[in-house]
Amino acid sequence: MPKHVTSPREVAAKESRAVLRRAIRLALDTESAAVRHNTRSFNLNRYRATAALPDYDALKDEARRIKEHALANRKALVQRLSESVTRNGGHFFFARDAQEARQYIQEVCKRHHVRSLVKGKSMTSEEIHLNSALEHDGIRVVETDLAEFILQAADEQPSHIIAPAIHYSRERITALFRRNFQTDLPLDTGEDLTRFARERLRQDFLAADAGITGANLVSADCGSLLLVESEANIRLTCIAPPLHIALSGLEKIVPSRREFAPFIELLAASATGQPLTSYTSVIQPPLAVPVVDFRGAGPVTREFHLVILDNGREALAQDAQLKEALYCIRCSACLNSCANFQVLGGHGFGGAVYSGGIGATWEAATTGQLKLARFSDLCTGCSRCATQCPVRIDIPGLNVELRSRLNKSIPLSITARAMHLLLGSSVVEHASTQQIFFAHYDRVAHLGMLFAPLSNLFLKVPGAHWFLEKSFGIDRRRYLAPFPRKTWVEISAGEVTHTPETQQGPEVLVLADVFTNYGAPERGRDALRCLRATGVRVRLTKPLPDGRAALSQGMIETARAQAEVLSSYLAAENAAQRPLLVVEPSVLAMILREYRKLLPAEAFANLQNSTYDLVQFLARHFAEQGSDPQAVFDIRKFAPGPRVFYHAHCQQRAVCDPSITVEFLRRVGFEVTCSQVECCGMAGSFGYKKDFYDVSQAVSEELVEQWKAAESAMGPHTLLASGVSCIEQLQGATGRAVLHPVELLAKLL
Amino acid sequence: MELVARAPEAVRDAVLARASAKRPILIAEPRYLSPDYFRPLRSEEGVLTNPNAGDYRVAPVGVTEAFAAIARTGSVCVDMGADIAGYVSLLPRLHIVVVDIDRLIFRPSDLFRLEQFARPIYHRNFVFISGPSATADMGPLVRGVHGPHELHIVVLC
Repeated sequence: MPKHVTSPREVAAKESRAVLRRAIRLALDTESAAVRHNTRSFNLNRYRATAALPDYDALKDEARRIKEHALANRKALVQRLSESVTRNGGHFFFARDAQEARQYIQEVCKRHHVRSLVKGKSMTSEEIHLNSALEHDGIRVVETDLAEFILQAADEQPSHIIAPAIHYSRERITALFRRNFQTDLPLDTGEDLTRFARERLRQDFLAADAGITGANLVSADCGSLLLVESEANIRLTCIAPPLHIALSGLEKIVPSRREFAPFIELLAASATGQPLTSYTSVIQPPLAVPVVDFRGAGPVTREFHLVILDNGREALAQDAQLKEALYCIRCSACLNSCANFQVLGGHGFGGAVYSGGIGATWEAATTGQLKLARFSDLCTGCSRCATQCPVRIDIPGLNVELRSRLNKSIPLSITARAMHLLLGSSVVEHASTQQIFFAHYDRVAHLGMLFAPLSNLFLKVPGAHWFLEKSFGIDRRRYLAPFPRKTWVEISAGEVTHTPETQQGPEVLVLADVFTNYGAPERGRDALRCLRATGVRVRLTKPLPDGRAALSQGMIETARAQAEVLSSYLAAENAAQRPLLVVEPSVLAMILREYRKLLPAEAFANLQNSTYDLVQFLARHFAEQGSDPQAVFDIRKFAPGPRVFYHAHCQQRAVCDPSITVEFLRRVGFEVTCSQVECCGMAGSFGYKKDFYDVSQAVSEELVEQWKAAESAMGPHTLLASGVSCIEQLQGATGRAVLHPVELLAKLL
Repeated sequence: MELVARAPEAVRDAVLARASAKRPILIAEPRYLSPDYFRPLRSEEGVLTNPNAGDYRVAPVGVTEAFAAIARTGSVCVDMGADIAGYVSLLPRLHIVVVDIDRLIFRPSDLFRLEQFARPIYHRNFVFISGPSATADMGPLVRGVHGPHELHIVVLC
């Protein structure tokens, strides 16, 4: 059992798997309920708000272009900004690291005899550990953002980049305030708690000698700051004290104030899911408005200091694989749309400052310690965040890169070498025994089938699950399906020749992906039957590893080698560019999304233009023919009835619109209820791993709840999922059979 | 929000109705609207145009103009430059903002594009206000945090 954690601070720096495991336990035991509720409501609101943006995609493109351009010209922009701030009457300082930034701010405060200061929420100030330095100088530092106010009282690190106390329920805040402030005032509602904090803080605002804020963006042309908030604490921090210090990373600089425009709407929609938050300030400090003498200290003039921070950002900008992390505008869409983050929050899925999928790169870059990116293991590569990011950062890609670097930082063990040898790896890549095992799913499955009666017998032997847990970290509670006797390719041999009726139909190539080939051959056969019944001429490829399994383990070179083999096989076999159809969505997304980074542009484009989801190809085929799918698929043959509950695979949704499948099923005559979750929680090998089994189970709870709700409202539903791991997860969680859409359709033939 | 005729007396009546018995009412002089719009208001009892620190601490109502209103987001844009509007729109619990319907634009980005707004000195410092100050940090959504608890928009048309 992991040692009991008394404070989230103990597990903030996740420099090893052991700390990560303890942090996960803490998060699931005490923080999960509040985090689930809060992130899911942010997530839902974001979907609504971005859908209401008339030009959401164009805004994202524009924002991305601005960020790319700004980062490429960062040196000139810093220079220009420095001139603008000075011209405005402010002071500019470029801090190379956290220590320089702290020292500068400490000196400014000393010069002004600052005794108390108010702060707006700033992750960058957390990054440089500013508060403890200022407090060391005897300054009273007051966090005024209510979430930061909670964390200051509790002495905890942030658990979310825009809602740092997202792990606190109202009840826990009440208990904290009672304990910490020893007050008898009513604290039993959100209103009570807010009133209590407001009244304390109003005095602090008016008495403060200085105010410190961050900035959402900074414009080089005129030294303007963009400040987005709802509580008005940032507005007060900027205007009430005579001294204003703003601290911002160098990646926040854009050329001119005009470039704030796309971000203003994108940020609010992507962050809290509002059209705009209560206050979006655009200011060019020092403000011209006189200081009101709340302190009774006599008349003073305003002073403004802008501190621009490097602290690892310059090195990150020069890192070709990771630099896009610098485009981040800290909206938290990637956190809220992440199924694992939704059950863990940033104390489990995050570091000392930055959290979630984007956080691992930031944590490593700003500390200079790769090992602090260990929590990137919680990114399953489900890719739900990638389509939600307003600047289109490939966050799963960043985490694969980090995993690869973490793998390479550890020497290859003897058992790992033996594993490579046993499985005949084409590339001997640095990874753990477990990772090599999962990366070579096809070889493991091939060997398992070769010895099929024996290997399946082994799975039933007492202690076999214990052995697999000890050797490969496969959680013993997971059901492991027996190996089939024959692969998809083997059972389909002799079946795939076309019949006279289909001579005229289009010809397609179906990819014998490894998951279907070894894991679900009957599903593959059903897919071919559906196609043939539709009048399509079908050819099945040989079994081809696609690299998905390897990539998810951070084994990029293995994945690239497999992608190259697959691509050149298809280039030779499919010179005619017949449509390539894929049953397994993780493989589909591998080809359509991840191959962009793994293959030369032309090879990628060839595959991108010819690869389709198999069911969606069917839907399109019927639409193009103008024919009725009910003429082929007779729903009366399906005894359980027309109601189905469909969970679309996470990665599939990143590359194709799931509503096409749903619409097709409806045209066939099904009544389809769709899940509203981001991911089932299995995510390939993730849910099988002992370290993550509990996270995976926690994620699946919401999906199961939605299915139950559908059943209690409308009666029994047939469970339907598109991915091999979603099907396993749902079967495990519900104890019911779960079908792939092609299996369902094949029953109607 | 309410629509009001373009007449100084109408502005006064709308503000006084909103403020009910609350006094003092702080007023930031308009820089875009004609100062005449606030004239009848200025001569009312308990209306202050030049507040001191003590007035700011206690005043329950603040009145400012907005130089733009934004349809899509339901926002008003208040200049926080040289005048006291930054304080008046921030410290009192009720913020009443007066804006001419001619200043209505569709979305925030229009503000950065439209020629009539491209007067850099004038809009050096401004804020899009899209509601009262609010938080979800204490559990449920609570309106009224460090800034106004209520926002009332008077649209002249």
